[in-house]
Amino acid sequence: MNRIRLLGQWLDDRLALGRLYEHTIGHRIPASSASWWYVFGSATLVCLIIQLVTGVCLALVYVPSPDDAYASLEYLDYEQPFGWYLRGLHYWGSNFMVALVTIHMVQIFLFGAYKYPRELTWMVGCALFLATIGMAFTGQTMRFDQDAYWGVEIIVSILGRLPGVGEYATHLLQGGPIVGAETLSRFFALHVFVIPGALIGLLVIHIRLVLVLGISEYPVAGKHVEPGAYRDDYEGVVEKTGIRLMPEGGGKDLVFGALVLLAIVLCAALIGPKIPNGPADPTLIQTVPRPDFYFLSLFAAFALMPPYLETVVIVYVMPLAIVLLFAVPFISRGPERHPSRRPGAVIAVTVVLLSLFTLAWEGVQSPWSPDMDAWSGVPVQPRFVRGRSPLAHAGATILQAKQCRNCHALDGAGGKRGPDLAGVATRLTEDQLIRQVLQGGGNMPAYGKHLAPHEVTALVAFLGTLHPENQPPARSAASSSSSPTGFPEPR
Amino acid sequence: MEPHDHEPLPPAVAPVTRRDFLFKLGLAINGLAAALVGIPVVGYVASALVKDRGRQAWIPLGGLDSFPLGETRLASYRNPFTTPWDGVTADVPCWVRRKASGDFQVFAINCAHLGCPVRWFPQSGLFMCPCHGGVYYEDGSRASGPPPRGLFEYQIRVRANHLEVRGGQTPNLSEPV
Amino acid sequence: MIPRLTLLCLVVASTFACDGLPGRPNPDDRYQRPEDVKDFGALYATNCSGCHGATGQLGPATPVGDPLYLALAAPEYLRTIIAGGVAGTAMPRFGQEAGGTLTPEQIAILASGLGARWSSREAEKLAAKAPGLVAPVGGAVPGHDGQVERGRGVYGQFCASCHGPDGRGGEKAGSIVHAAYLGLVSDQGLRTTTLVGRRDLGMPNWHDLGQRPMAPGEIGDVVAWMASHRAPAP
Repeated sequence: MNRIRLLGQWLDDRLALGRLYEHTIGHRIPASSASWWYVFGSATLVCLIIQLVTGVCLALVYVPSPDDAYASLEYLDYEQPFGWYLRGLHYWGSNFMVALVTIHMVQIFLFGAYKYPRELTWMVGCALFLATIGMAFTGQTMRFDQDAYWGVEIIVSILGRLPGVGEYATHLLQGGPIVGAETLSRFFALHVFVIPGALIGLLVIHIRLVLVLGISEYPVAGKHVEPGAYRDDYEGVVEKTGIRLMPEGGGKDLVFGALVLLAIVLCAALIGPKIPNGPADPTLIQTVPRPDFYFLSLFAAFALMPPYLETVVIVYVMPLAIVLLFAVPFISRGPERHPSRRPGAVIAVTVVLLSLFTLAWEGVQSPWSPDMDAWSGVPVQPRFVRGRSPLAHAGATILQAKQCRNCHALDGAGGKRGPDLAGVATRLTEDQLIRQVLQGGGNMPAYGKHLAPHEVTALVAFLGTLHPENQPPARSAASSSSSPTGFPEPR
Repeated sequence: MEPHDHEPLPPAVAPVTRRDFLFKLGLAINGLAAALVGIPVVGYVASALVKDRGRQAWIPLGGLDSFPLGETRLASYRNPFTTPWDGVTADVPCWVRRKASGDFQVFAINCAHLGCPVRWFPQSGLFMCPCHGGVYYEDGSRASGPPPRGLFEYQIRVRANHLEVRGGQTPNLSEPV
Repeated sequence: MIPRLTLLCLVVASTFACDGLPGRPNPDDRYQRPEDVKDFGALYATNCSGCHGATGQLGPATPVGDPLYLALAAPEYLRTIIAGGVAGTAMPRFGQEAGGTLTPEQIAILASGLGARWSSREAEKLAAKAPGLVAPVGGAVPGHDGQVERGRGVYGQFCASCHGPDGRGGEKAGSIVHAAYLGLVSDQGLRTTTLVGRRDLGMPNWHDLGQRPMAPGEIGDVVAWMASHRAPAP
């Protein structure tokens, strides 16, 4: 034992570990900062370490070329010992990292911790957030499956919308005329060299700032931040009630960090990595590309916003939002830190988070997207078949064969793009149905050219049976019941 | 050294010492070296801006007989501006519509909204996009959804009973084919 | 030595333990190219169930899961229909050569898989007594050699109780002479329904339709009579 002690002393003598400790994890923080609210930054760091370790391991096997990337992922999933598990850790580590860095940011924002003198800490943090999002996107691309390939196509198309520079930006990102090998290599270089390098560099600055300026104390309503007096106050607080970060103050960080680690391990072991959904072969067009969860809200936003806004959003709103994020400390300059005295901040966070979650939820559902296989793969429910006339049956096959189901559900089954047709006969009269089918309108294409008169008659006859038994179909007041097709009764 | 009784007056212009000179020389050489490294690095990365931009070629899609009259069929070609390791990504699909015997339309697979692959449904005569719900009519014009325009259409020609398209770039709004 | 051994055991044990974890990707879930899907159930569900029903019955289109239909329809016949569709009806062409998405192999799997999944011994016995499913339908020229006239009589005998005295629909079943319906069904489709019935929807097959089974000629006659109501599209 004595020898180990001697070795310790020798190392301390040469490396000055004691002094390093004193100035880093042993530095004194206000006792109020040792709070459960203050654990998210360190937990994000835990995720980063997981990502670095597993990332290096995955890079031992992964091959960044279009044909081999997919093959090497399948090798990792099915052949390489622990390969699937490390992929799982890396996948879930990234999910947790994006989530935690966001929570960290929200907490800092709500606690007003970005205020004097920590403006730069916030800005570097914003850069770290962007770098994390960049890692997430380039990482999704590393999977180089169909989702990844079309995800890159979407980003390229977004860049292509930049007026004037679009053409240059797309080629710079693609590294060639199309999304191909050089594009993947670029994303690989970004994912394993450029962004991690930037991330680590920024992190060093971020931590340096935290050490130099001190961790913000727990906000107290009514206690103001006055640039003139703040630092002296802070030093006074630390001197009077300060505790060392480790071991006194950091217990909660350790516990929470370990819980996060366990959660990642559990997710990797029980849910596993995301299985690549097919090679990035553009000729495989029977694909339904969806982004990983962090980009679902963006994906949804592009489907839901009015088309004339899209370019405006890409060119102005998104860059402006990023600038605003960085500029938060210079916009919100009030002396109050406690959220109860900053209702505006609380409302802003709530609105942003709610919109992000709502959009992401919409992204999961993607009701705007036709269900490409519904026409042949989602059955007409037997209760819409029973008791119908042969004409209505023919109409139901027309409904399917003309891909109406891709956009229209029948009682919840089918596409969600257009209205559910289950009760359509109570809403539209026969004439209105015919007009809607032939001329389209309200975001529905016109089917006039692709439906023969018999087909329209049969289709409308079937649609006319789609009403609850106790609710008669809509009839126009003007027309008598002896119209040419006449909504046949269910028999 | 002990302080002198009569210190010399500081000269009006500070003499360039050897240390100063070496420091500045060092800066200058490093600047030069940085330029010699940096300019090619930027040129290397940015070469993609120039090298393949606007490069187009006539690419055969197949014999005219492989496209039945009045139908729209999927075809694909190998992108001519490609590296051997591009693999499957250089196989570019497109939709070929034969309106009349010699009257063709060839549409890019990419939705004009954000580039996803549109699928053709012959029964309803519509192209549908699986991403954000863009829909196009059989002639490529926009039917519904967010696309700001119709499908991107290739320039075409018929040579020696073969259909050829002019392609080489992934189409997007700033470079429509 | 002992700790090292324990460690080794732990590593080995964890390797095997990992194999059983639910997160481990299952090779069966691997992505398959659409043309490589060879499972009848998956192919039927994505391509056929929309119109023909999840179980091959109770869909608006021909009940391809009806054992009697399967006993009568040869796989070769089914293959032709799946690949090339039925002109003039809603049945699309699924064959790749016709612009569809299914390979010849997949079509063969579908055609033979239908029988493998839903045929029954009983129906095969019944089918042995049945006239052929596919037959050139008389009455291509309406009124020719009195077939349509005979068909009217056959209709009255076998069908009128449900479809009404003139075919325009009755208490139990809808019109089978509506111009739009006839415009969307092939003569073979009429024959198939007459022969096989719609057991799933309460329509008996040719054998149980009346007091006695319909005679082969009667089926042709009644189909010709129905087809004679076809009107050119307005």
